[in-house]
Amino acid sequence: MQIDFQARELTVKLVYYGPALSGKTTNLQAIHKLVTPDTAGRLMTLETRDDRTLFFDLLPLTFSSGSGIQVRFKLFTVPGQVIHNATRRLVLQGADGTAFIADSQVAETRANQQAFLNMQENLRENGLDPTSHPLVIQFNKRDLPGIRTDEEIDRLAERGSEPVFKAVAIRGVGVIETFLGLTDLTWRALEEKHSLHEKFGLDPDEFLRDVRVRLGIEGRAAE
Amino acid sequence: MNESRPAPAPALDIALGDITRLDEVVDREALRDVCRSFFELFGLSARVFSSEGTLLADAHEEPAIHAYLRTLPRGRQLLDQSVDAVVRAHPEKRTQLSELTGAVYDVVPLVYQGRRVGRFVLGPYLPAELKEVPRALLKSDPGIDKEKVRTALASMPRVREATAEKIVAHMNGIIDLLLFSSHRAHLTSEMHVASVRESYRELAEKTAKLQAAYERLKELDRLKSNFLATVSHELRTPLTSIIGYSEMLESGIAGDLGAEQKEFVETIHAKGDQLLALITSLLDLSKLEQGAMKVEAEPVEPRAIVEDIAKTFTPAAHKKGIEVVVEVEEGLPRVMGDPIRIKQVLSNLAENAVKFTPQGGTVRFGAKAAELDDGASGLGAVLMAAPRRAIAFTVRDSGIGMPREELPRIFDAFYQVDGSSTREHGGTGLGLSIVKRLVDAHEGSIEVESFVGEGTRFVVTLPSVEGE
Repeated sequence: MQIDFQARELTVKLVYYGPALSGKTTNLQAIHKLVTPDTAGRLMTLETRDDRTLFFDLLPLTFSSGSGIQVRFKLFTVPGQVIHNATRRLVLQGADGTAFIADSQVAETRANQQAFLNMQENLRENGLDPTSHPLVIQFNKRDLPGIRTDEEIDRLAERGSEPVFKAVAIRGVGVIETFLGLTDLTWRALEEKHSLHEKFGLDPDEFLRDVRVRLGIEGRAAE
Repeated sequence: MNESRPAPAPALDIALGDITRLDEVVDREALRDVCRSFFELFGLSARVFSSEGTLLADAHEEPAIHAYLRTLPRGRQLLDQSVDAVVRAHPEKRTQLSELTGAVYDVVPLVYQGRRVGRFVLGPYLPAELKEVPRALLKSDPGIDKEKVRTALASMPRVREATAEKIVAHMNGIIDLLLFSSHRAHLTSEMHVASVRESYRELAEKTAKLQAAYERLKELDRLKSNFLATVSHELRTPLTSIIGYSEMLESGIAGDLGAEQKEFVETIHAKGDQLLALITSLLDLSKLEQGAMKVEAEPVEPRAIVEDIAKTFTPAAHKKGIEVVVEVEEGLPRVMGDPIRIKQVLSNLAENAVKFTPQGGTVRFGAKAAELDDGASGLGAVLMAAPRRAIAFTVRDSGIGMPREELPRIFDAFYQVDGSSTREHGGTGLGLSIVKRLVDAHEGSIEVESFVGEGTRFVVTLPSVEGE
């Protein structure tokens, strides 16, 4: 995280990690579509070939809190293809939280596992501890045949500590939930580390509720 | 962390992918073009500033009213003050600031990815809604000429608020797009550089690991050769005594021996010699591998060498009913090398030839002029591939021959085409590997040609004395 006291501005970096073609870019595209234009900036796609990410995608989100603090989220994706490991490691630099986008298809089990191990290794290479790093896992492509069942995922999820979400990113399903889950975890970790409440008067519960309203989650529930 | 590790990519701010300074990212020329087109289209002056206050682009024309006011001492002062206030303003959102003349400036912050990176200023223009000349202007200077003021103001662009809003939004959109594409290009090039550096760092780390492994292997190899040399030497010392004393016993110095005793002693002597030959070969090999064996270079007469070898092996060949033929070209230049080592090479080949040729066969020794070509091609081949003059020594037999697929391996240490041949024919499996290393030490080449049942031909090519 970057704190600019003078500009009263916080910048939080979130990275979407995962195997090739698991839907990281699709997640960002869906968020971009679902969030109001005053919150989301332009989605930047850096270098693609045949619709595959070579460097990264970047989606900036900005929330101005009641206490006059500007909170900027920067959502990055990494290139999933195995050969782009150097780029993945660079993009992961300074990440505050990570969403691991897994492909629900049973055939992709091994690719998911390898990407997950690779993420842990790259977190360590960047001086981040994988055991304490804020992490959520999304099982994407729930609409496809040949996927791991909900029951199986739920059962397996109980054995881990990280929140698990299910999504059909291409239709925007579960994307905001994943993002909010990640934001929640990340914000609480940052609060613990930087005492944002004390320094900036940013109450975590209030801020997170604010984000939910801005993303139309609480607003919808209240209607 | 490893000391030799190259420094990680410099702080390119890829971590957050932010624009740190507007003027580093955006192309000033492009910004200037945008401002100019706005000026031409709407007659509005346009200026873009970075957040540090640097004027990045500017398209304006001094309004007639400004020119007039500047001719008046008091008017000039007041005008400068009001323009100064515009330049210093850093509003959080679009703000209209008016100057002395009643004209307004639109000051608009440039917000990019949630951060104010600069601002642009449109104007001055007269709000269309403003009907009268401001009283403050008319009172600004005691010597002011109202008629001149009216004429000057008439030439100033008039814009309605609704239109101004649209123009501002349009300008904002264009600059935002310009920023976005510049930022993307900027990040892309930074990522290119950073990725290459990162890949290089990764490779450098792997290379260092491989280098360390290679050094360790080289050290092990050296230890092995040392061990071999030491052991061979230590084995040879007692063996010399065994051979010496068995020789003395055989010759009857210590008294006459019975037939059986003599036979036993002879066996001890023969096996001792065999063991010594093996140990000597091992010692040679390890010396050659360490590069410790000295190869003397002196001009050597090829005919003398070939004839010497033929003479040495003729008795053994004749005993087996094998014919020995010598074919040496006339007028050959001399060979550059160590006569003892060249003889060692040819003896080794000769011994094999006699060993593997059946009764009634022929062993031919030859020497003729040849060329040594190191096979260089491509760049500068005309220089690099120029062959050197050389002598080709051949040892050819009509023996059992070797299968084609075995040929590439026969120069490996301890390799034998047929393991059982050691028992039948003797030999250590070291001979040819020593031959190969000796030839290499002479910067020569060795080739083999063989057909099963037809025989084998070895060609050893060694450089000749230059100029002969």
